Amino acid sequence: MTDQPRILVVDDEPQLTRVLRTGLKSRGYDVRAAADGLAGFEAFNDWHPDLVITDLAMPNVDGLELCRRLRAISQVPIIVLSAKGEEKTKVEALDLGADDFVTKPFGIDELLARVRASLRRANAPASSETTQSIFDSGDFHVDLDSREITVRGKPIHLTPKEFDLLVYFIKRPGKVLTHRTLLAALWGGNYVEQNEYLRVFVGNLRKKIESDSASPRYILTEPWIGYRFDPGQ
Amino acid sequence: MRRSLLDRKWAGYVVAALSVFLLTLVLKIVGSHVNAATVSLALLLNVLFIATRWGSLPALLASIVAMLCFNFFFLPPLGTFTIAATDNWIALVAFLITAVTAGQLSARAERRAEEAESGRREIERLYAELRDAFERASHAEALRQSEKLKSALLDAVTHDLRTPLTSIKASITTLLDEVREPVALDAESRVEMMEVIDEESDRLSHFINGLIELARIEAGELQLRRRWGVVDEIISAALTRARPITQHHRVELDVENELPVVRVDERAVSEVVYTLVDNAAKYSSKGSTIRITARRSGDELIEMAVEDDGQGIPHELRERVFDKFFRATRDGDVSKQPTGTGMGLAIAKGIVEAHEGRIWIESGNNGAGTRVVFTLPIGDEDVVTPSQQKQ
Repeated sequence: MTDQPRILVVDDEPQLTRVLRTGLKSRGYDVRAAADGLAGFEAFNDWHPDLVITDLAMPNVDGLELCRRLRAISQVPIIVLSAKGEEKTKVEALDLGADDFVTKPFGIDELLARVRASLRRANAPASSETTQSIFDSGDFHVDLDSREITVRGKPIHLTPKEFDLLVYFIKRPGKVLTHRTLLAALWGGNYVEQNEYLRVFVGNLRKKIESDSASPRYILTEPWIGYRFDPGQ
Repeated sequence: MRRSLLDRKWAGYVVAALSVFLLTLVLKIVGSHVNAATVSLALLLNVLFIATRWGSLPALLASIVAMLCFNFFFLPPLGTFTIAATDNWIALVAFLITAVTAGQLSARAERRAEEAESGRREIERLYAELRDAFERASHAEALRQSEKLKSALLDAVTHDLRTPLTSIKASITTLLDEVREPVALDAESRVEMMEVIDEESDRLSHFINGLIELARIEAGELQLRRRWGVVDEIISAALTRARPITQHHRVELDVENELPVVRVDERAVSEVVYTLVDNAAKYSSKGSTIRITARRSGDELIEMAVEDDGQGIPHELRERVFDKFFRATRDGDVSKQPTGTGMGLAIAKGIVEAHEGRIWIESGNNGAGTRVVFTLPIGDEDVVTPSQQKQ
């Protein structure tokens, strides 16, 4: 038993699992690999990793089904490996509960950064999601209880929906939030196809909190997927 | 212009009246040679003509005018509308009834004929429209299918390019990281990363060569360098190359004695044998046997086969496995990930067919496993045996 964070890599490409195992191990992670979703799910139940990295296209149980099964029993962070052109599957995986994605081919640095961010989020859920009522990015300050917000020292007004959207982002720092997830959470299940709502509200929010809304620093766009909130700290 | 005038509605009535007057005049001029029956028949013919050309109402007018002229000019007393003899009354009434009836029947027949003609034209027009629509739809469907196929092929190609590229990039960046800020990467791990790069580069190279070969075959540009070659040597070259992949299998070689030399591109045929042996090794368990046979088939062919003891290929897939980028697991189990590039058998088929040979799949001799068989024509010159060739 070690105190190294455990990472389960699920991919049917043996060469890639070899590389990831070595690359992640060299950064102090304890790594196990599985060749398909079924073996991955079994390994998860046996080994209880802190994070799962999974490919999407695999035999037996694919990456989507693995996300579904894992989410039914655990909140373990899941990073999916996907290819450009697989946006639909990627969104599906994120909607099923995956936390992040990395597009193939990727450098090990990019993967390591996503791994660190996911583990950080997973290790600090209590502070960010439930108890913390003040958020300060440096550029702007939000009091979740009094619903007051100041940007670079000046109080600004947000509509109730804009405020709810901002709070939703703040409580999920670094996590990729699909259009569908945001729409369902803030507008309800009947509005999950209304991406234009999001474009308008995110646009307004950016104008109010970003110093340059054309090159946003906090609310980042994941093309064709959704948005990611970078707390900037 | 004249035709359009005649086609006008009132033209029928004018022609009806005028034609009767003219005919009556002609009959009157030749009056000494015609009797009442001839006159009535001539007038009836005119009514039929009017009915056929202009329809029932002008024909009715022609009938009445003809009856009046017949009465006035040909039935005694002449020059009056009175009739002296009873039988002439009967003749006149019979003429009128016959003229009207014949006129109406003829007009109706003409109308029916016109309707039938118009119906036929309408059917022809609809048929032409349908055919055009069908052709357009077929063309659109063919285009759609072709686009779909292109997209599927592109997906297959990009997947096969991207997968090794991902391993290479992940390995390289791991090694680069170590150079930039030393991490705990031991010598063994470094070697492993480099091995991955080496192997995946070979895989990419193999895939790209396969693509080029396939493109050549499809464009009909496969350049065969046919020479007289010995079957043993062709198989032996393939087996030497395949040694690393067959090291965990038992390889049995059964080549018929005194096989004639064949006029083939030895390198290309050896590639076919290598592909089949590679597949046999991939799809059968370690320790099982791969059998390679070569024998003469009839006077003109050499038959070669590679057989494994694997799960076999279902009958319904035995043709499709030769399609480019088609990848199936040997036992048709879709839950298993297919291996390979999906090009080997397509290339093998291209090479065999370029030699005017044939390739097919059958079950192994014991009913299980896979036996891929191909034939090659011995050559278009006199058959010579290896011993003769050496002389």
